[in-house]
Amino acid sequence: MRRSAWGLTATLAAWALLFWWLLLSARWSLYLSTRTAWVVPVGAAILTIAAAGSVLVHRPAAPRDVRDLAVVVLPVVVVLALPPAALGSFAAGRRSSFAGANVAGSAEGLTDGTISLVDLAGAQQTPEGRRALAAHAGERVTFTGFVTRGPSTPADEFDLTRFIVACCVADALSVQVRVVGTVPGRFETDAWVRVTGLLYPLGSQAVVQAERVDEIPRPDDPYLTP
Amino acid sequence: MAEVAVRAPRTAERTAVWAAAALLVCVAAAVRLGGGSPAAQSFLLVFGSLLIEAVPFILLGALVSAGIEVFVPQGWFDRLARLPGPLQLPASGLAGMAFPVCECGSVPVARRLAARGLAPAAATTFMLAAPILNPVVLLSTFFAYRGRASLWPILLGRAGLGLLAAMAVGWVVARHSPGEFVKQSAAPDHHDEASRAASFFGHLAGDFIFMGRYLVLGAAVAAALQTFLPQSILGGVAATPILNLIAMMGLAFLLSLCSESDAFVAASFVQFGPGAQLAFLVFGPMVDTKLAFLYAGTFRPGFFRTVVLVVGGVTLAGCLWIEVLFG
Repeated sequence: MRRSAWGLTATLAAWALLFWWLLLSARWSLYLSTRTAWVVPVGAAILTIAAAGSVLVHRPAAPRDVRDLAVVVLPVVVVLALPPAALGSFAAGRRSSFAGANVAGSAEGLTDGTISLVDLAGAQQTPEGRRALAAHAGERVTFTGFVTRGPSTPADEFDLTRFIVACCVADALSVQVRVVGTVPGRFETDAWVRVTGLLYPLGSQAVVQAERVDEIPRPDDPYLTP
Repeated sequence: MAEVAVRAPRTAERTAVWAAAALLVCVAAAVRLGGGSPAAQSFLLVFGSLLIEAVPFILLGALVSAGIEVFVPQGWFDRLARLPGPLQLPASGLAGMAFPVCECGSVPVARRLAARGLAPAAATTFMLAAPILNPVVLLSTFFAYRGRASLWPILLGRAGLGLLAAMAVGWVVARHSPGEFVKQSAAPDHHDEASRAASFFGHLAGDFIFMGRYLVLGAAVAAALQTFLPQSILGGVAATPILNLIAMMGLAFLLSLCSESDAFVAASFVQFGPGAQLAFLVFGPMVDTKLAFLYAGTFRPGFFRTVVLVVGGVTLAGCLWIEVLFG
């Protein structure tokens, strides 16, 4: 009797299950940017079809095949078991900062009335962008991000950090603004906060004089898209 | 006697299944308990994201590959093989423009094309050119550099140097016997109507598993390098000629980014000139950590060495000119 390739089917079904889970739980937002979110439903659909079709395949499994299948299933187990988390201060200290990608679009963003972190980071990279930004000095802004601190950061200041992701978190670039005038010791590193205050661009950096800082839960969409 | 012979492999299979299941349970427990530390979290997020993004593309590549195997008549490949030699490489390279997937998807397709009788030189040229020349990648490069003086040198340089490097590798492959670079694949199946669907899904699943295991290993190495190697270590060589190009090529190798997003990362290295950024964009889609593993499964060891040397040489020479002209 010919035996079905149950191992192939189980492996494809495990990956299909992971993609459906990512889609239904919205956990994809911890791994991908909104720009590439489409790969999740597409991947879920193709993997489901592939898993269903593989029932037709008849191929006995050897122990070596089982090892290969286990290697391929391993990431499914890892992603399902990993507690929900986004890149934080550890990654911010090791990755490059956002500096210039999509500059023109970001500088244009300054004119629509609300300054976002992406607009700010883009505008800081060119003389024209910095001039455009200087015109907004003293303007009230609201930014959301997590708290990071360097060894020399004063107690009543912190860096508000957010990652900008074009495709997946492997290409994440950080954007930071210095927040001054906060209550010392109130916000721990990696805590998510919403800061409202007055923006003061300083060359390629920016400072926000805090008027209000609220600790908030991690947003559903922790990364920004350029 | 025959019953004993059948029972032995089944026992071995059962033992392997239990061992694999135990390993996966241990991994799940380790991730659950140790996944809270910042370094582990960062590593696992990058590892997971590389795979979540790449797996649909691998599967699309496997889908095309299975379609080529089962549905494309052999006569098509015979006709392609009869194209005049000088036309085969540029035609294969430019064919990449019609295949909008990143580097992970093009490897299984090239593997299948070679198995169906396409000259290995043409198949490898297609494989290397497709991740750079496809319209999605060129469009993302355009958006990443829009508004900069270096937009057109980077965009046209990426397409031109990418095609040139892919053809140069194809030219070297053409000068060797087919078996010297490409691993022998199983002979093409003969399909009757009844077995066609089973054969299609068999090839689809087989290619997915084959490529998947190398992708998992490559993603693990790339995630470890991304997590534990600070990107700021490159800053010191940004102004040193030639070394800056080699540093950016090395970085592209380590980061293993998808060619559809790497332009945004390259654009962020403002301390490096356009030549060095271009080196990152040309070298990375053809030579990176995860591709090293995918190539290892498809080609013989000499192939990877050849790709590194030829693509590295073409990239260095081309980007030096860009530095001289636009730096």
